Amino acid sequence: MQKALHYRDEHELMNLRELVAEKAVVVFAHKGCCMCHVVKLLLNGHGVNPAILDVDELNEGDVTEIVGGAPQFPAVFLGGVLFGGVEQVMGAHISGELVPRLRQARALWL
Amino acid sequence: MNSTTTQFVPSRRMGLYEPAHQMSMWGDFRLDSPPPPPLMLEVNANSNNQSEDTFGASHRNDQEASKPDDKVLRRLAQNREAARKSRLRKKAYVQQLENSKLRLIQLEQELDRARQQGLCVDATQLAYAGNTNPGITAFEVEYGHWVEEQNRQVSDLKNALHSDMGDMELQIFVDGGMRHYFELFAMKVTAARADVFYIMSGMWKTSAERFFLWIGGFRPSELLKQVLSPHLDDLTEQQRLDIVNLRQSCQQAEDALSQGMEKLQFILAQAIADGLLREGNYLPQIGAAMNKLEDLVRFVIQADHLRQETLQQISRILTIRQAASGLLALGEYLQRLRVLSSCWSSRPRDVCVSKI
Repeated sequence: MQKALHYRDEHELMNLRELVAEKAVVVFAHKGCCMCHVVKLLLNGHGVNPAILDVDELNEGDVTEIVGGAPQFPAVFLGGVLFGGVEQVMGAHISGELVPRLRQARALWL
Repeated sequence: MNSTTTQFVPSRRMGLYEPAHQMSMWGDFRLDSPPPPPLMLEVNANSNNQSEDTFGASHRNDQEASKPDDKVLRRLAQNREAARKSRLRKKAYVQQLENSKLRLIQLEQELDRARQQGLCVDATQLAYAGNTNPGITAFEVEYGHWVEEQNRQVSDLKNALHSDMGDMELQIFVDGGMRHYFELFAMKVTAARADVFYIMSGMWKTSAERFFLWIGGFRPSELLKQVLSPHLDDLTEQQRLDIVNLRQSCQQAEDALSQGMEKLQFILAQAIADGLLREGNYLPQIGAAMNKLEDLVRFVIQADHLRQETLQQISRILTIRQAASGLLALGEYLQRLRVLSSCWSSRPRDVCVSKI
């Protein structure tokens, strides 16, 4: 029984890792979080539709594995790599760095 | 009453003998209108000191006996009416006081209950007294210093730009100016954690500044549009383009934050409105709302972060001289807003007599 559970957890973690690696833009957030809404709108403005993952639905351990200890949400992944939170996204948006990063993550094709 | 000023003035139209001491003050204009009741009372009180030319005289004209009495009776009735209305007003006022007292007792009870339940309740926000939050008091003092320093920097910048100072020296002023704004943002974060509503309402700002408030401060895109762009005339084409792009990015970021705020307002209102008209107390709803308010602090922080990023991006686009001009323009603009506020609040107003 213990072994089966362990396998299932590992499986879930693998799925999560794959998801983050595959999708160009992934956002981890709490459901109904207003800052997540802000990040989503900023990304939408660039023509990007991020995959939003509800942290409350996921295994806490898995999330910590991927996002790191003491995580701040929303947490944005570009091309499988943790980019940052709303502050980093906003900063990159203003400084003009966001578009190149999005292209790099193959979120944009133009 | 000065008896030498009294005269006996017959009122031709009504055929009455009017008490005339007050008539002498207004001349012929008041011949036909009866004096208001208080004067009437005054006359009565003084009649024993007056000569026969006053009110007392009217009693002695027997052929007119009935008409003066009517006048007197009417005035007495008016007095009674005025006194009655006065009593009613007093009664209403006392009633209002009683209601306020009851509400105060109710609030105090709720406060005690909340404290017993271990919830954090700031009594000063329930009372109508001023803000006694130490974090806010400290902020207000610091902000006072900040404005003084700001004024010094504005005049320094003005002098620097009019002198033939080189770019190296000018850079020091620009860096100092930018840093000064960043210090304000840091102060605001601490204050927002102490009382986010205070920051959101722009309470530390003057009234005209508050008119332009957006999430606890100025709107970066407006800054670019109104203050900077029109006053930087030696821009290259690339710079012009960069500033247009920056303004657009600012607007997009502002829109995203504004929409996030609307969502927060919606969620907060929902939390507070949950279970209205239901049995039981509302403390769970208040507790839920308090949790949501933590997000409001994040909005203040992100809005200030946007302001900081915008200022930094502007300084990257502009030359040192242009950046100095831009900082000066912004400083002067804020100064003018403050002056507008104080001029507006001290403008001469007509004193209106309340019609209660």
